[in-house]
Amino acid sequence: MPLLCMRNIDKAFFGKPANLQVCLEVQHNEIHALLGENGAGKTTLMNMLYGIYQRDAGEILYDGQNVAFSSPKDAIAHRIGMVHQHFTLVPTLTVSQNITLGLKSPGHPFPRRRDLNQQIQEISQRYSLEVDPTALVSTLSVGEQQRVEIIKLLYRDARLLILDEPTAVLTPQESESLFVVLRRLREEGHSVIIITHRIPEVMSITDTVTILRDGRNVATVKTSETSEQELARFMIGRALEPIGRSAAPPSCAGTALQLSEVTLVEHGRSKLGPVSLCVDPGKILGIAGVDGNGQKELAEVILGIRRHSAGSILLGDAVLDALGVMERKNLGIGYISDDRHHDSLVLDMDLMDNLLLKTHTEKRFITHGLLDRKKIRQDTARAVDAYHIKTSALECPIRYLSGGNQQKLILAREMAGQPRCIIAFQPTRGLDIGASEFVHQELLRLRDAGCAILMLSADLEEVLDLSDHIAVIHKGEIMDVLVNQDIDLTYIGLLMAGKRGDERGAVV
Amino acid sequence: MNRFRDALGFLAIAAILLLISVLLILAVGSDVTKAFSSFLRGIFGSFYGFSEVLVRATPLILAGLGVAVGFRTGFVNIGAEGQIYLGAIAITVLGLAAPGLPPVLMVGLAILLGFVFGGIWSVVPGILKARFGISEVINTIMLNYIALNLVGVLVRTWLKDPSYPYPMSPMLPAAASYPELLSPTRLHAGFLVALAAAVAVYVLVFRTPTGFEMRAVGLNSRACHCAGIPVYKNIVLSAFISGGLAGIAGVGEIAGLHHRLIEGISPGYGYIAIIVSLLGQNHPLGVVVAALGVSALHVGSLSMQRAAGVPTSIASIIMGTLVVLILARKSLFGSTVKLVREN
Repeated sequence: MPLLCMRNIDKAFFGKPANLQVCLEVQHNEIHALLGENGAGKTTLMNMLYGIYQRDAGEILYDGQNVAFSSPKDAIAHRIGMVHQHFTLVPTLTVSQNITLGLKSPGHPFPRRRDLNQQIQEISQRYSLEVDPTALVSTLSVGEQQRVEIIKLLYRDARLLILDEPTAVLTPQESESLFVVLRRLREEGHSVIIITHRIPEVMSITDTVTILRDGRNVATVKTSETSEQELARFMIGRALEPIGRSAAPPSCAGTALQLSEVTLVEHGRSKLGPVSLCVDPGKILGIAGVDGNGQKELAEVILGIRRHSAGSILLGDAVLDALGVMERKNLGIGYISDDRHHDSLVLDMDLMDNLLLKTHTEKRFITHGLLDRKKIRQDTARAVDAYHIKTSALECPIRYLSGGNQQKLILAREMAGQPRCIIAFQPTRGLDIGASEFVHQELLRLRDAGCAILMLSADLEEVLDLSDHIAVIHKGEIMDVLVNQDIDLTYIGLLMAGKRGDERGAVV
Repeated sequence: MNRFRDALGFLAIAAILLLISVLLILAVGSDVTKAFSSFLRGIFGSFYGFSEVLVRATPLILAGLGVAVGFRTGFVNIGAEGQIYLGAIAITVLGLAAPGLPPVLMVGLAILLGFVFGGIWSVVPGILKARFGISEVINTIMLNYIALNLVGVLVRTWLKDPSYPYPMSPMLPAAASYPELLSPTRLHAGFLVALAAAVAVYVLVFRTPTGFEMRAVGLNSRACHCAGIPVYKNIVLSAFISGGLAGIAGVGEIAGLHHRLIEGISPGYGYIAIIVSLLGQNHPLGVVVAALGVSALHVGSLSMQRAAGVPTSIASIIMGTLVVLILARKSLFGSTVKLVREN
């Protein structure tokens, strides 16, 4: 008898189906992958199991019993636990306080903290989840915070653990040690479901894979009996096209973007160590690094969204230091932000207005001092056509477009008018594979046209696939810059974790 | 489907308001039919009554436009009341300082000066918000008290009419008056000024690049900052325009009705303007319609008090309930509509 059996689950949001007749079976002592693209319905399915959403139809058998959890509290009482993509920890409390939060520990309301710490230590040793119970959560790395989340579930005696995209924020080394933990959990009799869209990690850690596409089951296979190619085909419905990154054209003379000794200090804290970089025209410089290591600061300092404290930034011969965001953009810098909804779009405005956000002062859109709706409309229609943006109308608030189509509109805006430099920060975050491929092609097309591209991404594969050169950032400092050829992944992983080894790869 | 929901929601609000007014009328021991018929007769029954609706709507339109412009840019201006008084001070000072100006110049200058005075009164909290992130809600309210009492000081000291013992300024020269439109009613050219302002605000907000920036900043200032649109400038500008429009409302009350500065020229127009802007969904046309509606409610309730002995306070109770219902509409009626549809 399987530990968990979900049968014919249906769920629709606002009439749009997110899950259609989905089935999932998880055995005892098994690591089970739920594989699918963004928006395939993986998280929705797990949220229903966990009691966050209620299913429209179907049944859930857990341990042979028909169950319907009305809240996560219910699910935890049945020994099911979930680690969400965004952690739910209180940064100002200690690890141990976070773990026992909401529980009535012995001695409540004055719990015996030392005994609790002892118990947590035991769990942490048993599963090789190293963490100090007395440390403040705000001082922990992302990997450590994830461990705290897992201990939190184990402390509540979870038998089935659900991890939503657990490796998305980890360095390769941290992912490796997470896998060790997962195997340890399996040995101890736990079952684990990991939600993911990364095929290699499915191959290396799981026993069984269930693939979802567009809210439906595609297949369930034993990991040992499948291949990466087959999984890719299941996941996107066709074979994955390798990114054809041809050799960069011989670079044009000079540098496009140059940073020398740029620093950023905010509220007395150094956010960006002295950074020196240069990107040549017709080249892509990829910045690898774990999320939150100064990538946002770096991107925003170049754009002028934040003002750097020292050093200088040049675009060609122009010194950008004293210029505002608008002036820098007018000199030919385009910006693709990692946070579409907050930084790039006005969600309640329509496609025309959002496309206008950079060009609303340009003469070609203004007649007699007023905005010329007709010309704006034509321009938007052209962009919608050129970038294959799917929308019901140009007057549709951009809020109602899919992430991929929103991103395409941003590309249309930021890549308009032959930019000399593009800052692409996590340009494919949250996009499905089709849209990601489109974004990558556009970046390569611009590169071939002589544009200098600085791409910052926490997705190491993306950086490896696209970049001509790779720089690694850690705590706001550039650890090293490498030519993207025969790269030693271990070395990059070490750099991402902030360790400068003695052995060095190719150095520019 | 959304339209259907909206319509149903508004219908429900109307029904609830009607019910409450019937209950209140019964509670004060009046005849419901008589009360309602006198309410309608007050508004449409006479030429004078109807002109009164327009007279009262005039400051509401102007101040409502001001509040709406602020709301569009994310500047929550609760200070229209104070800005109205600043406009009133502006025309009084001008009229007394330069009584010899010809009418056209005088009125034109008065409107301009009123706009600037009201604008400055609102720019102070605007700068405090844009520069230091201090809540404009508190600051605009506080400036209302300052403005109100500033008028109190002025009509007792520098602007006092020496020939009367009461706290008021001397009569302003005839040049500082709006022309009357339909004598013997009180309707004056200020109503046309208000309509013109509505058109101007529409063009500014929806047709110019500046208005585009202001709207975008109101919806997502972070994205505007990233796109290079100066957020600071736009907040301050919209604060200025917002206060300026309320200032013109104050000019109109003096130039059209009172012709001298006294205390209490505004029975809370600045606060009612917030309701007007809310009802009009911050759209100039909506503001005009809402101002007329609110003004009619008031004029009708006066007639209801005269004829049926129902206190005018009912109008205020209805208006308060209306605002609460409108704000709570989505959550209150959304689920009911869903239930109805599912069954």
